[in-house]
Amino acid sequence: MLSTLELSPQTLDAEAPVRIAVKNLDFYYGEHKALKNVNLDFRDRHVTALIGPSGCGKSTLLRIFNRIYSLYPEQRATGEVLLDGRNVISNQVDVNELRSRIGMVFQKPTPFPMSIYDNVAFGIRLYEKPPKSELDDRVEGALRRAALWDEVKDKLKASGMGLSGGQQQRLCIARTIAQKPEVILFDEPTSALDPISTGKIEDLLEQLKTDFTIVIVTHNMQQAARISQYTAFMYLGEVIEFAATNTIFMNPHKKQTQDYVTGRFG
Amino acid sequence: MSAVTDQFAAPSASVRKTPKGTFDLVFRNASFLAALFVLVLLAGIMASMVIGGWPAFREFGFGFLTSSVWDTQNDQYGAWPAIVGTLSTALIALVVGVPLSLGIAVFLTQLAPPWFKQPVSTAIELLAAVPSIIYGMWGLFVFAPLFAAYVQIPLSNIVEGMPIIGTVLYSRSPSGLGILTAGIILAFMIIPFIASITRDMLDQIPSVLRESAYGIGATTWEVVRHVLVPQAGVSIIGAIMLGLGRALGETMAVTFVVGNANRLSASVMDPGSTIASRIANEFNEALGLQLNSLIALGCILFFVTFVVLVIARLLVARVKRY
Repeated sequence: MLSTLELSPQTLDAEAPVRIAVKNLDFYYGEHKALKNVNLDFRDRHVTALIGPSGCGKSTLLRIFNRIYSLYPEQRATGEVLLDGRNVISNQVDVNELRSRIGMVFQKPTPFPMSIYDNVAFGIRLYEKPPKSELDDRVEGALRRAALWDEVKDKLKASGMGLSGGQQQRLCIARTIAQKPEVILFDEPTSALDPISTGKIEDLLEQLKTDFTIVIVTHNMQQAARISQYTAFMYLGEVIEFAATNTIFMNPHKKQTQDYVTGRFG
Repeated sequence: MSAVTDQFAAPSASVRKTPKGTFDLVFRNASFLAALFVLVLLAGIMASMVIGGWPAFREFGFGFLTSSVWDTQNDQYGAWPAIVGTLSTALIALVVGVPLSLGIAVFLTQLAPPWFKQPVSTAIELLAAVPSIIYGMWGLFVFAPLFAAYVQIPLSNIVEGMPIIGTVLYSRSPSGLGILTAGIILAFMIIPFIASITRDMLDQIPSVLRESAYGIGATTWEVVRHVLVPQAGVSIIGAIMLGLGRALGETMAVTFVVGNANRLSASVMDPGSTIASRIANEFNEALGLQLNSLIALGCILFFVTFVVLVIARLLVARVKRY
């Protein structure tokens, strides 16, 4: 059964520096404790997958890194999430600046109500005022990177809402990478897409990891196995096992992990 | 067992006939008549307005629109001051009311803590339910004297003699009543409509869109200005047009506070009149050509409202492309 999984060809570099270090992290939705003492290291320019059954806290964990949870006053986190040594959950952090350095791609494509060009330029313009020619170059670069340029180069002025679902998701990825973030968070980026679009996004992730540190939440075990180097298996708000993807899928140490990756529960 | 099978077996060649055929026919025609009724009603109102106003249009011709005379002694009537009054009070209402309404809606949907959101939302609903005569009385007895004492008089002292604003904002008789007062009262009246519709529209935007806008580092202002408001854009324009429609036709409150002057003044501080207030003031005692002129005024209001609706539709169609 495990042999049907196609594992990521990329070898992991155990010496890569830690980009995000999570230490003793607890998270609360009001009274409900959704994350319990999470400790994880995310390595630079690697893809780390978070897997686990619905409600295990993997999306919650992702939403802490860029402080999206701060939009909701009843949600709070305690502990440390160190991005290059800086605790991002402390009150001193400028959340807007943080979010420009930690991009996020959501479950559903979220093009903004503006043209394709402006969608990609929007994030750049928030923090920089590059001259028109440089902005054009960066928009084109991001769209090429997101494998969307050829499909939209003749209609950059058209609305981003007019694209297909898969194109919209690649537009959102282009918008995210145009900002040159250090980390990109993917929250089930392909769950709303058809298999062909999913394939394109996965190819994209494969080559994005040469430049970005990537964290991806996915329900799709094959996807986690294909694209990640590290995998964390979470259950009921706790990290059950965190190891190289090969280990998690081929030779997990915990029985729960084995049961989950082989589809016996979840 | 075989009985069950028979029961569900396909009927042979016999054609089924629904026993309720007649009722369905009656029902369909009844709903058609109900829909037709709207058209007949509208056509009837339009026709009676045009017929009633026709003598005035015939007597004064195009001059009825442009003339500023309203002289009951000599039976000379012109609609210009009332048209200008209607449009300017409505415009002031929008200028004052729209930013406030959007502010309320954005605050309620994006920023307000839950304990504050509920009371304010309820207050808005209640404001929308306040009868217009209450707004009129409040405007006349409470707002106008305060407005005269704290705005009109000091402002007139400041702007006196200045070019343009010395004319537009100068009040010759600081009574508190006038075009600007009417516009502000109208703004209060349309705020609940625009704010509550806009709030509902903003609430309907999926939270993931809002999160992704925040997620690339946009501030609250940028999220609202560039993502949420454009996303709700068409509906917000619709809400504003609904408010404008109300402002154009509002009668009671405006009649209380507009001052009811038949003369056209260059100052928004001076009394004026709107089409609706003019009709409300004079309908009781109007006879002959004066009555025809009032109906003709109504015709014009009807037309202006119609034009506003058309412009709204065009705007909506234009925005929809993006």
